[in-house]
Amino acid sequence: MHGPDITAYVILAALLFATGALGVMLRRSPLIILLSVEIMLNSANLLLIAFARLHGREDGQVFAISVMAVAASEVVVGLGLIVAMGRRNLDLDVDKLRTLRG
Amino acid sequence: MAAASWTCLLLPLAAALAITLAGTRLSRRAAAYVSTLSTMGAFAAAVVAFAKLLGESPEARTHSTTAWTWLAAGPYHFGLTLLTDQLSIFMMLIVSGVGSLIVAYSVGYMDGEDEERRYFAYMSLFVFSMLLLVQGGNLLLLLAGWGMVGLSSYLLIGFYQERASAIAAAKKAFIMNAFGDATMALALFLLIQHTGQLDYAGVFASAPHGGTVANLIALGLLGGAVAKSAQIPLHTWLPDAMEGPTPVSALIHAATMVTAGVYLIARTHVLFENAHVIQDLAAGLGALTLLMAGLIALVQVDIKRVIAYSTMSQIGYMFVGVGVGAYSSGLFHLMTHAFFKALLFLAAGIAIHAVAGEQDIRKLAGIGKLMPQTKWVFLIGSLALVGIPPFAGFFSKDPIIASTLARGDWFGYLLFAAGIFGALLTGVYAFRLYFIVFTGEPSAFAREHFHAHHGKEGPLSMRWTVGALAVLATIGGFLQFVPFWDPLTKWLDPVVPALVDATNTQEAVASVLAVLVGAAGIATAWLIYGSKQLIAPEPVRLFEQKFYWDELYDRLFYYPTDLFTRGLYAFVEQPIIAGSLTAVAGFFGLGSEELGRAQNGLVRTYALALAGSVAVLAVVFLSVR
Amino acid sequence: MANFLVWLVWVVAAAACLSSALAVISFTNPFYSALSLIGHLASLAVLYLLLGGEFVAAGQVLVYGGAVMVMFLFVIAYLGDRSDTSPWTGGPSWQAIGAVLAGGALLVEVIVVVGLRAGGFLSHEAQIDRSFGSPEHIGQLFLTDHLLAFEVTSIVLFVAAVGGVVLGAHARQIGDDPSEVDARA
Repeated sequence: MHGPDITAYVILAALLFATGALGVMLRRSPLIILLSVEIMLNSANLLLIAFARLHGREDGQVFAISVMAVAASEVVVGLGLIVAMGRRNLDLDVDKLRTLRG
Repeated sequence: MAAASWTCLLLPLAAALAITLAGTRLSRRAAAYVSTLSTMGAFAAAVVAFAKLLGESPEARTHSTTAWTWLAAGPYHFGLTLLTDQLSIFMMLIVSGVGSLIVAYSVGYMDGEDEERRYFAYMSLFVFSMLLLVQGGNLLLLLAGWGMVGLSSYLLIGFYQERASAIAAAKKAFIMNAFGDATMALALFLLIQHTGQLDYAGVFASAPHGGTVANLIALGLLGGAVAKSAQIPLHTWLPDAMEGPTPVSALIHAATMVTAGVYLIARTHVLFENAHVIQDLAAGLGALTLLMAGLIALVQVDIKRVIAYSTMSQIGYMFVGVGVGAYSSGLFHLMTHAFFKALLFLAAGIAIHAVAGEQDIRKLAGIGKLMPQTKWVFLIGSLALVGIPPFAGFFSKDPIIASTLARGDWFGYLLFAAGIFGALLTGVYAFRLYFIVFTGEPSAFAREHFHAHHGKEGPLSMRWTVGALAVLATIGGFLQFVPFWDPLTKWLDPVVPALVDATNTQEAVASVLAVLVGAAGIATAWLIYGSKQLIAPEPVRLFEQKFYWDELYDRLFYYPTDLFTRGLYAFVEQPIIAGSLTAVAGFFGLGSEELGRAQNGLVRTYALALAGSVAVLAVVFLSVR
Repeated sequence: MANFLVWLVWVVAAAACLSSALAVISFTNPFYSALSLIGHLASLAVLYLLLGGEFVAAGQVLVYGGAVMVMFLFVIAYLGDRSDTSPWTGGPSWQAIGAVLAGGALLVEVIVVVGLRAGGFLSHEAQIDRSFGSPEHIGQLFLTDHLLAFEVTSIVLFVAAVGGVVLGAHARQIGDDPSEVDARA
């Protein structure tokens, strides 16, 4: 392929994944956390597609499509939860929701 | 022969077991009779065995029967062996004979006692143990009997369990005797090491002669004898042992158990002769004890304690006897002492029983007027004790004193002086007791509390047994009158040959002096306590405090041990042992508290945990290809 | 020349990707974060195109950008202004440090693991033809080799749809005036 080879994609995907992880661990708003999870999923997708190109087989792309479908489903459920929280006038702050404390 | 010996030994054991196992199914009276009859049966068996022995020639009188090999360990074999020879039959007759009289006396004395069955079971156990001790065919069985008489003594001293003083006295007796048991065991270990066996014939043939080992062996045996016979320095338990019932004091702490030390030295005399120093030490300790006990008895106010110190003193005489090698004299004194000391204790028991258990002689004063028969038998016993002819003590005590003269050197003369002075003391303290308690006007207390037993001075069982002992104390001495006839010495000679033989002159000198001095003692007592012509001197503090032996042992043994245990408690028990346990618990508590902090309920923390674990696991999976 | 163009597009797309991702996690206003994510998804689609996955790129824009992000924006609009005044605070004291360490460790590990595992494969690129990543090829794979995954994915979508309805519905009781139901949470 023209352009950068696989290592560049690996590094990029790793950086994106780390960014998403930091977002999950460091932000308090559930909306932002959900968005960060999306970033992580997309980084994995990027890696899958890059290796699909490397090996010349579209299996990676098929897998990436499945991941997309699953990500969409998960967003549906997550947003449903956030809407339910909002309806009850709860603070959208994961630190405040801690009744499952051990 | 063997059957008679085994019967003698096992009848009391059977009685003890029967009383124990029957429990409340046996009435108290029945238990008392079982015990008494079994002891009398044992005596009958002993008489049968004795009769058989009489019919044999002196050399053939040693019979050893082994039931089975009791202990086999490598090259060492110890059998359950019973030895019936001249010495053991002598002891068997005394133990079972005097024993049956005392157990019969207990039938009346302990009547109505709640725990009567327990008492008689223990008494039978004791008789069995003492018979095992004297009949044991090897040193191992002797040690077994030794320990068991110590146990019986503990059980019987502490018989009145509700009294803290009785429990304490029982413990004291047992612990001091345990010390003696330990030294004896050490001596036996040395014997096994050097001779490989423990039966008498073998040991005496191959024991080392002289040297450190022989001294150590004899010293160990002496330690046991001193503890059991309440000689200095292991004597402090005997006065306290008077906490037990009076028949117990008579049987165990006068007639039989405390004389076991004398028997031991006589039986193992070969080992003592191999270690002359130790044998002299035995005589020396005996002399010291007889003097000290005599002095203490001068000032005691409890009737049983006076008699207890008298026992200690007389056993001192026996130790002097076997210490200089006059074994048969010492043993003869053992026999007569059993008679008159048991008599004194049991007569005192009748008086105590009649005055609601009071033992203080000042309160008992003058009771002789209310109990004349008791007064006469007590007088007989006292005369026998002081050694006035024709009563028993005269025939047995004087040969011991004579044998110290026969020994010859300065040590012998020293022992002689002690013996004579001891006779003076005996006269004084014995008759001080008699005059205070049994003569003069009855005290107010005595009058008030005296109650006759259906018009007589005591129950029948108590009266006839005391009467029998009075007869024995009167005529028992005539068994042996040394310059003229000495069947006992001849009887015992094959087993315990005497080391010294006093000449007739020495015998005469000793006897005359002893009797004179004893009479002087009686006269002194009469002047002070009888006719009250002289004022009694102030009791010497030292004697009253029993020469401060108890206080010395307290300082020497109790305080350091107490300090040590307190220190251990403070520095080891609390911080280390208890502390480690609480630390373990605390560690877990603290640990779980800290770990619990991971469960703070925050989603973000859990996400961090996830990310962290993935990071770590990736490394792990990487390194483990 | 072609190579240079590819490189240029790649650099721009990668930069946009990274910066929009950082923007997502940094904005206080969730609306802005969602918009940044849309930008992120678009740049990813460009990267997919560079890698020969046309169908996937199209799907990315349609599904992610057209459906998922629209949903996000609807919800953010519904919830109103919920800006975080102090987005980075809160939580235990060790959260921030731990997060950075964990993130850094993951970053390094992904690179290292992939690099180590892939080994020699990384330098051999496969040759592809023009129909690489075309809908026919993808469809063929979905309906033959990966049929199970296909069916299971459809079930997952179905379940999510039901879940979404359940989560979003109001509790309704018999005899209720429909207009009052909304007031009840």
